[in-house]
Amino acid sequence: MANRTVIPFGPQHPVLPEPIHLDLVIEDEHVVEAIPSFGFIHRGLEKLVEKKDFTEFTFIAERICGICSYIHGMGYCQAVETVMGLEIPERAKWLRTMWSELSRIHSHMMWLGLLADAFGFENLFMACWRLREGILDVIEETSGGRVIFGAAKVGGCRRDVPDDLLARIPAQLNAVEDELRAITNVFRDDFSVRQRLCGVGLLSRNDAYDLGAVGPMLRASGVAQDSRLDGYAAYDKIAVEPIVEESGDCWGRTMVRIREIYQSFDILRHVLPNVPPGPVDMKITGAPKGEFFARLEQPRGEVIYYVKGNGTKFLDRFRVRTPTFANIPPLLKMLQGCQLADVPVIVLTIDPCISCAER
Amino acid sequence: MKQKPLTMTRVALGSLLRKPATVPYPAARKPVYLATRGHIAIEEDKCNLCLICDRRCPTGAIAVDRTGKTWAIDRLRCIQCNHCVDVCPRKCLAMENDYTTPMQMKRSDVVPVPFTPPQPKPKPAAAPAPTSDSPLQAKEERPGERNHEPPDQSSAD
Amino acid sequence: MNLFRKSPWIIHYDGASCNGCDIEVLACLTPRYDVERLGIINTGNPKHADILLITGYINEQSQPVVRTIYEQMPDPKVVVAVGICASSGGIFRDCYNTKGGVDSTIPVDIYVPGCAARPESIMDGVVQALDLLERKRKEKKTRRRAIAPTPTSEVPTP
Repeated sequence: MANRTVIPFGPQHPVLPEPIHLDLVIEDEHVVEAIPSFGFIHRGLEKLVEKKDFTEFTFIAERICGICSYIHGMGYCQAVETVMGLEIPERAKWLRTMWSELSRIHSHMMWLGLLADAFGFENLFMACWRLREGILDVIEETSGGRVIFGAAKVGGCRRDVPDDLLARIPAQLNAVEDELRAITNVFRDDFSVRQRLCGVGLLSRNDAYDLGAVGPMLRASGVAQDSRLDGYAAYDKIAVEPIVEESGDCWGRTMVRIREIYQSFDILRHVLPNVPPGPVDMKITGAPKGEFFARLEQPRGEVIYYVKGNGTKFLDRFRVRTPTFANIPPLLKMLQGCQLADVPVIVLTIDPCISCAER
Repeated sequence: MKQKPLTMTRVALGSLLRKPATVPYPAARKPVYLATRGHIAIEEDKCNLCLICDRRCPTGAIAVDRTGKTWAIDRLRCIQCNHCVDVCPRKCLAMENDYTTPMQMKRSDVVPVPFTPPQPKPKPAAAPAPTSDSPLQAKEERPGERNHEPPDQSSAD
Repeated sequence: MNLFRKSPWIIHYDGASCNGCDIEVLACLTPRYDVERLGIINTGNPKHADILLITGYINEQSQPVVRTIYEQMPDPKVVVAVGICASSGGIFRDCYNTKGGVDSTIPVDIYVPGCAARPESIMDGVVQALDLLERKRKEKKTRRRAIAPTPTSEVPTP
């Protein structure tokens, strides 16, 4: 029997932008077991609902994670609105859809860059991040922030986007999309990229389902599940087709995300000309009483917000089940039997967002 | 699946021929947008020291002193959420587009407010009491100190 | 700027942030902002680094990690706290798991405000850190000269 060694991976590691710690049990070059340990970014922000009133908590909900910040704020607001029985204005719904698709594009493009960095393709990393700045410009022009949008509000949106700006965005998006085609072709066709991704980190359809994978992880293993089909915000008026790949390896997950970027571009092209006129927010009176689970689709997968109000302006309980948290058990399964050199790539393909997972 | 050669070479050559993507920052900078959230500015002439921004700020960055007649903001606590601008009844706060420059010491920006509260109101002493002693001491924090609850330092002694 | 100045290498550690500042720190390295043209390289090894960029506040579990990284860095070193959370705890100041800003654990030289800190702001902070680094290096040199005659005397801690 070969020697067993335990290699600590993280929390401060060159390929990881965030602290996650894995103890990798190695037999020769193969990983036998991976033991995660968490808590480096635990903030305990769910408990802050007892100190901040439910409208102010939106600022904290937006800062659960800086990458999918808008969807966090929006999901919290949506849960509170459902508890309070509010029907938000139509324009706010469409603007919410626009911002959540923009944040999906920015998150996936960022992830493509990080993946390229993880398998040592520096040039591709730079190319992805150069294009991502184009999306960030659109985000900043519409919402005012580059990463923290600050646009979510209980009862609608905190700021309106002028119509002439909405009419100008599609041209900017098309320019980004044209350039992006060349880069995603590299991910699809390049020999060295396929060498690193094809057949690495296999997750079978059954495993993905049983272990509770969500989002692109689940869809890359052949399960068509997408929370946008539930029709929150304006998604009930948009045809969203879940993007499914059958291969279940790192390459499949990359393809799912790449195709989702183009899908988001398509959705935005449909959303932007159709944003109806009208107010973007409404006056809220009273306080939430009751409880609700809101399910939304984040770039990383399905996210669940639980809100319980007791009729005062402070909520009783707020809980988030973030996609990264759900994707950790499948990650540990994928790491079993892989080679040590593939660990960074496999860890990155779940698109880890540790600050989401630990809140 | 089909494999096309030289896809990355084409991207790399394209980047060579394109004009540089870099904005050489200290020399030139990207124009800011109208919506960009940078820092909070106050038109002190309009302010009536109503304390609403002080109370509603989610991080407690704004300190309004009614007796000393100052409005102070700790830039190292402000998260640019725009909430104070939204709640200000006199619309004297505004979000400027420029970001705050980095600093080596913690300090608050204190703005004197030339507002004289009307004297013959029924309860003049009730409102200023909670913040009367705090802002001036919060300003002198040293960077090594923990600053969880600066207003309590004087009362604890 | 002095052309022959040392190129500082930075190390980035995410204390306990929301990721917003982290991706902005990474954005500084990418084509739009490209700090490498100032000679700045992001390294993963604390022993190679001159400037420590910390995003996010400090909690119970990240405190020893931050302290270890700081102690491993060679002198002179500069600590830059990026973002509101690193400077003062920010919106998470009231959380039960918060120890406060980075200055609750290690001495901080430069605070970069912003939530999330903009790349321009981070670059300003790093440029300030360069000047500070130069000053610290000179101070160290003069101090070494001052204590040179008595080699047995205690090595001053910065």
